[in-house]
Amino acid sequence: MKVHGPSELLNDVQKGGLCIGCGGCVDLCPYFRNYMGKTAMLFPCTLTQGRCYAHCPKAEVDLQELARRYWGEDYTGSPLGCHREILGARAGKKFQMWRFQGGGTVSALVASALKSGRIEAAVLTDRSGFEPVPKVVTQWEDVGRCGTSKFIAAPTLAALNKAVREGKGRLGVVGTPCQMTSVAQMRLNPLGREDFSDPVALAVGLFCNWALDHRTLKAYLEKRLDVNGILAMDIPPPPANVLVLETASGKVEISLDEIRPLIPQTCFICPDMTSEWADVSVGMYEGRPGWNTLIVRTDRGADLVEQARSDGFLETEPMPEGYVKSLSAAALQKKQRALRTAAMREVLNVNEDGKRSALRVPPEVVNAILAAQ
Amino acid sequence: MSQLLEPKAGTRCLLMGNEAIARGALEAGVSVAAGYPGTPSSEIIENLARVAGERNLYVEWSVNEKVAMEVAAAASYAGLRSMCVMKQNGVNVGSDFLLHLGLCGTRGGMIIVPCDDPGALSSINEGEARQFARLLEIPLLEPGDFQEAKDMTKWAFELSEEIRNLVMVRSVTRLSHASGMVVLGELPAPRAEAKFVHSGFILDPMTGAVLSVPIGFKHQQQQEKLEKAVALFENSPFNRYLGPEKPELLVITSSACFLYSLEAVNVLGLEDRVGILKLGTTWPLPPKLLAKHLSSANKILIVEEVIPFLEENVKVLAAELASSVGPKTFFGKRDKTIPSVGEMNPDNVVSALAKIFAIDYQPAPEEYRKRGQTVAFFGAPARDLTFCPGCPHRASFWSIHNVLEMDGREGFVCGDIGCYTMAVTPTGFSTVKTVHAMGSGTGLASGFGKLTQFGMDQPVLSVCGDSTFFHAAMPALVNAVHHRSRITMVVLDNGGTAMTGFQPHPGLEVDAAGRQAPAVSVEEVARAIGAHVEVSDPFDLAATQEKLLTLLNRKDGVNVLVLRQICALSPQKKWKKLFEVSVNQDVCLGESCGCNRLCTRIFRCPGLVWDGQKKKARIDEVICSGCGVCASVCPSGAIQKKEAA
Repeated sequence: MKVHGPSELLNDVQKGGLCIGCGGCVDLCPYFRNYMGKTAMLFPCTLTQGRCYAHCPKAEVDLQELARRYWGEDYTGSPLGCHREILGARAGKKFQMWRFQGGGTVSALVASALKSGRIEAAVLTDRSGFEPVPKVVTQWEDVGRCGTSKFIAAPTLAALNKAVREGKGRLGVVGTPCQMTSVAQMRLNPLGREDFSDPVALAVGLFCNWALDHRTLKAYLEKRLDVNGILAMDIPPPPANVLVLETASGKVEISLDEIRPLIPQTCFICPDMTSEWADVSVGMYEGRPGWNTLIVRTDRGADLVEQARSDGFLETEPMPEGYVKSLSAAALQKKQRALRTAAMREVLNVNEDGKRSALRVPPEVVNAILAAQ
Repeated sequence: MSQLLEPKAGTRCLLMGNEAIARGALEAGVSVAAGYPGTPSSEIIENLARVAGERNLYVEWSVNEKVAMEVAAAASYAGLRSMCVMKQNGVNVGSDFLLHLGLCGTRGGMIIVPCDDPGALSSINEGEARQFARLLEIPLLEPGDFQEAKDMTKWAFELSEEIRNLVMVRSVTRLSHASGMVVLGELPAPRAEAKFVHSGFILDPMTGAVLSVPIGFKHQQQQEKLEKAVALFENSPFNRYLGPEKPELLVITSSACFLYSLEAVNVLGLEDRVGILKLGTTWPLPPKLLAKHLSSANKILIVEEVIPFLEENVKVLAAELASSVGPKTFFGKRDKTIPSVGEMNPDNVVSALAKIFAIDYQPAPEEYRKRGQTVAFFGAPARDLTFCPGCPHRASFWSIHNVLEMDGREGFVCGDIGCYTMAVTPTGFSTVKTVHAMGSGTGLASGFGKLTQFGMDQPVLSVCGDSTFFHAAMPALVNAVHHRSRITMVVLDNGGTAMTGFQPHPGLEVDAAGRQAPAVSVEEVARAIGAHVEVSDPFDLAATQEKLLTLLNRKDGVNVLVLRQICALSPQKKWKKLFEVSVNQDVCLGESCGCNRLCTRIFRCPGLVWDGQKKKARIDEVICSGCGVCASVCPSGAIQKKEAA
């Protein structure tokens, strides 16, 4: 991984329109702050190498390096990433005190990890009115409060960075594919700090096609309703094609055709639908209401799922092969679109002197992905 | 006892120019003095305020210069001797009133003392007041030394009563702020009874109503007064000539430039070839005196500061007198013999004389000059303009800057006049983007805030100090509220007119003479005007930033945020530390990723020092004022504060 400094980050990512506001560079230092979804650099920093750049999921992300480190194999561009099994899952009977937006799988896993002491604290995303806000939870009973979909990019990793700065270890973190990429890069200890100890004991990734920009969406919704009165948001599975906003005075439906133009351009260079760099990934299970899709990727992901099942926090069932296929097809589509877009924007595998790349994928893998059906 | 009260005439005193002016006013029996603080003028009112009790004076720091002039004029109308004092910009502020005052005339002797700042040592312009004398058609006196500062001030009151109009006595920084020997005159017994007589014939200047109409009549009268003054100027002892009877070059000069000219002639040994006509009465010029001296030489050099005021007036006279004095060759600002901007000094005059006389003159050997530059460059630490240690403005601008960056809509701050003007520089994180006159920040903001209809969505902020708020920002705030301009005005309330030496203003419970006074509340005024008002302590960075962010996101109306924390140099706070601050160097991250010297590279309070050997920050206990703000800035908790005992 090539590590540059904050000036390059500011130039390439913030000014280059690639920043999604994941919070990966925020709260590592006093220079980067996120406010209302937008990450800003408060003052110039003169370092030529910084963790801000190293952690950023839109700056010199080298998928080959990540694959070798986390999967122990070369990056091949398989649509769903390296995994052990794909299951249907939902919160188990002992963890059904909350109304969950999907199957409650994420909350159940995080609660189980906290309860069993696998993690000391979990970095989640809560909601304050319209605004998604990072939250650090240490009691398993508090996890369920955060278990609603936001569809808005949130600076969750700022809270992770802050927790690490405060000396916390064995942290769990729940986030989107870009955030999982950032966490994976962070765990590589890119600046080679001698005193580095991996603070992340569990990474729970979410499926994501795109997230909305906080400010753009807010400005759009403000014309329709009082955004602070939004209690929950949902995008029901196709063919619904709507964003449903739950407010005190009832539900408001907005066509996704109106929402899609608000998707930040940076989402279109993201090759990851299923959070491939997480320990486990969780998403929607279309056609099976009340259930989630659960991808188990790593040893510790598998251990946690086993633990949660035996605790009665999680229930799983086999996933039909047909569904895995369609999921895989969707994930491939996202990869293909991302690589085409990134190449077109000249942020893929840029090798010219003095130029930097957002994403690096071995060229033969790029070709293979683009050729895949 | 203040030496201003020394009763014995003939006593020699070392007086600052401003003290000499104050003493001159006391010797003239001044009763009322009003002004607005501004360098280099402030010590005149301060000194008079100190002796107000003993001399039965009424002295005030007025809300602004225009009101100061009105307060002083009222005293004159009531038969008292009065004066108003200000820096050059203040004359602009009061000029609207002055134009009427000049037409109406005065009763008790009244003088206006502007202290100009050539070179703008303590200003953001080098505007000057002399041209107002011509514009207002009033006599202008310019003291050339400390004795004259006293004597001319005293005489100015007499002249004012002689012609029954306002007289301007103009000082400059180098006269106001330098000191010299002054032989004192008599101090009259306090007297004076005030009564405004208004029942006489309407056109009677001493008993009728005070009016500038009928214009033709009054204007005529005003010009006759000026002619009377000119007649007196012809024989004034304040105009002097030094030099040979037939000099090769005649230097015409006034004010501090007189001493520079004397020195320059002496340095070049030109005493036998150059004559100096030192004028104390510079508007209108006395034509007979000028005719006499213009006849004596064919080459004329005019030495003065800022605009070629004297030069142009001399040239007009020379043109009128051409048939008797003959053609002249002029040197001065217009032909660039004298620099057209900046302050004058003896070297400039030496250069001008050397050029005219084709003398090869080096003020210092080239080698010496070069060595001086090298030593200064490598030997002296770079000292930027900076807020003092513990200055609340540094904390305020830290918050304003951070909030604007976080907001991310390219918001900006319209600045105003005070120490906080320095926020255009890195000490205020370059947050301020416009600086003009007193109150202009909020006026500009009011305008910027109306540009939303043209697609401008940048947040608009203005800052002004507490004194500036009362001086000239209030009308701008009214304008913004009335026109629904979307702005946030930040009042940096540091509890006094801090930049000029902590003079009181209407927001405080004390007046110029130290008497109890009812305070006018900034926030109550702002609320009454219709603004949404919040108050915060700028030292509480988190709370201040949260409030600011909330205000910036309010959809409608004008916001006022009062950031209240007293100036670190205020008499109340000086030497009193809130906290003992220290750096735990084991925790300090220094230059590494995670900090990169935020405190000494960006925050840059002079009380924080970068220890280049240990590569850690430390506190300079000698100048740290103990505000504790840097502890909130440090990302690693290395800067620690504990309450001072």
